[in-house]
Amino acid sequence: MKKLLTIISLSAILFTSCSKDELVTVADGAGKTTLTFDATFNGSDFALNKDFALGTKTFNFTKFRYWVSNVTLVNAAGEEVKVPGSYYLLEETGAINLVGVNNDNAATIYPATKREDVVLKEIPAGDYKAIKFGVGVDQKYNDNMSLQSGELSQLNGMTNVSWMWLTSYIFTSATGTVKEGTASKTLKVETGLNANYKTVALNLPQSIKIGASKSANIVINVDLSKAFDGIDVMATPTVGASQAAVMSAVAANYGGKVFSVKSAN
Amino acid sequence: MNGKYAVLHLSALMLLSGTVISCKKDHRPVENFPAPTPARLEVPGNLPKVADDADNPLSAEGIELGRILFYDARLSGNNKLSCASCHRQDIAFSDATALTSIGVSAKPLHRHTPTLFNLAWAKSGLFWDGGSKNLESQALGPLTSEDEMHQDLYELERELKAVPDYVKRFKLVFNREITSTDVLKALAQFQRTLISAGSRYDLYIRKVPGATLSSQELQGLALVHAKCGSCHQGELFTDYSYHNNGIDAIFPDDLEGIYQGRYRVSFDLADMGKFKTPSLRNVMLTAPYMHDGRFINLDQVLDHYRSGITYSATVDRALYQNDGNLGIPISQAEKAAIKAFLSALTDDAFTKNKKFSNPN
Repeated sequence: MKKLLTIISLSAILFTSCSKDELVTVADGAGKTTLTFDATFNGSDFALNKDFALGTKTFNFTKFRYWVSNVTLVNAAGEEVKVPGSYYLLEETGAINLVGVNNDNAATIYPATKREDVVLKEIPAGDYKAIKFGVGVDQKYNDNMSLQSGELSQLNGMTNVSWMWLTSYIFTSATGTVKEGTASKTLKVETGLNANYKTVALNLPQSIKIGASKSANIVINVDLSKAFDGIDVMATPTVGASQAAVMSAVAANYGGKVFSVKSAN
Repeated sequence: MNGKYAVLHLSALMLLSGTVISCKKDHRPVENFPAPTPARLEVPGNLPKVADDADNPLSAEGIELGRILFYDARLSGNNKLSCASCHRQDIAFSDATALTSIGVSAKPLHRHTPTLFNLAWAKSGLFWDGGSKNLESQALGPLTSEDEMHQDLYELERELKAVPDYVKRFKLVFNREITSTDVLKALAQFQRTLISAGSRYDLYIRKVPGATLSSQELQGLALVHAKCGSCHQGELFTDYSYHNNGIDAIFPDDLEGIYQGRYRVSFDLADMGKFKTPSLRNVMLTAPYMHDGRFINLDQVLDHYRSGITYSATVDRALYQNDGNLGIPISQAEKAAIKAFLSALTDDAFTKNKKFSNPN
């Protein structure tokens, strides 16, 4: 009998050693949600190689890419359901020559891509009232490029791997040109570094039902123009690690202004 | 045992095995593949304890795979260079060159090849400026840099997948197809095993019977602790931190801040011109010295600390004397004693250890 008890308690220990996330995701009646990150610029639909006016400036983009990570849905009771392995690269970009990643091979140049949808699977059935996600890559994964989760990869040009440099992910990247009057500048505004990892928390306009019988759709408006709020892009058209203060201001814009909920049903 | 208990017993066992399988499932497919043999670092008693890396647990097969990769020229774009081309075991995995130009582009690098040993303790960054947080991420730098190995990471996976022995080894260690990230992990596992603590000094300090240091070497040991120990501290003879040791007056913003040291990583002005403290272990083998290899021998290094320190705002406080002057007073006799002691830090057992040498 003693042996039996040992076995039972051992199995109890083994049960608890399974992480909570794993147990949550296999719940019955789980459903899926499509998360659409609809890129816009100051009210217009975002597109590459198209002029967008913002005040006295005209922007034209060749690339807009950013990591979304650690997606969490909040249910009616206020409980958070974390989507495991949720690292997604959202983007609209022309072909990218990945110098330093695939140096020579034309066949593996990163192709032109437009990606706005993310499908969250195996969400426990229930009513959900809010969504949270990170912009960028959290410290654990940002510091160690050998760890893989979701779509994280150093093979897509959203990393810094060059020699003697900070080996980490580029959180957001928007490149193109910006013009004001007769002046024209090459624009390259990027964020990264652990301090600039931001969590966006958005309430849905109304609770949505997710379950095996009902897949939901949350559309998020991603207004890139807001990323430049308060930034003098003519003075600092290149924002990278050496423009630490400006980069942190841009990251704060991504955290607080760029993303809003357009619809949820 | 009566029948009722037997049934209970059986169902408890089933419950147990069911739980084990459901726990393991996420990490390892159900197929019956042998697991790698867990391994631990063998840390000699005079070195600090070191924590296992939870994200890349050591295994005997992983370490061996890393060793094979370390010596394999397939890792470079032109298939002519391996990690060992610039990290030679006989000189403590350094390269005896100030700024090597043996990389794929044949252009001289801007920084000196660092040594590779006691890396399991290097928790505050790799590279001379700490721009990489761990060995796993670090390897991406030299692998992909066009002035070093200039490898295409897709091509790397393809080339390794073409070798059946690699396919088998990666499958055993990581239980999946070959990925470039697992190349990084295997290399890191091997490098963590590169522990150097078998010098005459180590045998003396561990009181191995018969191990002695001469009176001059002992005087040198005391001098190193007193005059060099604020940075080259402890049994590892480094603090794994960053200091401006007064070798330059200005730190130009060229080449993406390559001359600015730690500042290019932290963007904190207090870090301007700071570079990582290298260990004094095996220092007799690892000339030339400094992040750009500017000093060809230890006499030049010691003369620098004695009388050559250049002022800039971030020069380390330990390099100031009480009267505010720069420099560490070192007499000729003291210099000789320091050099005698540093010779006792040469670890022949390490540089000749077959476990770290080319397996082919």
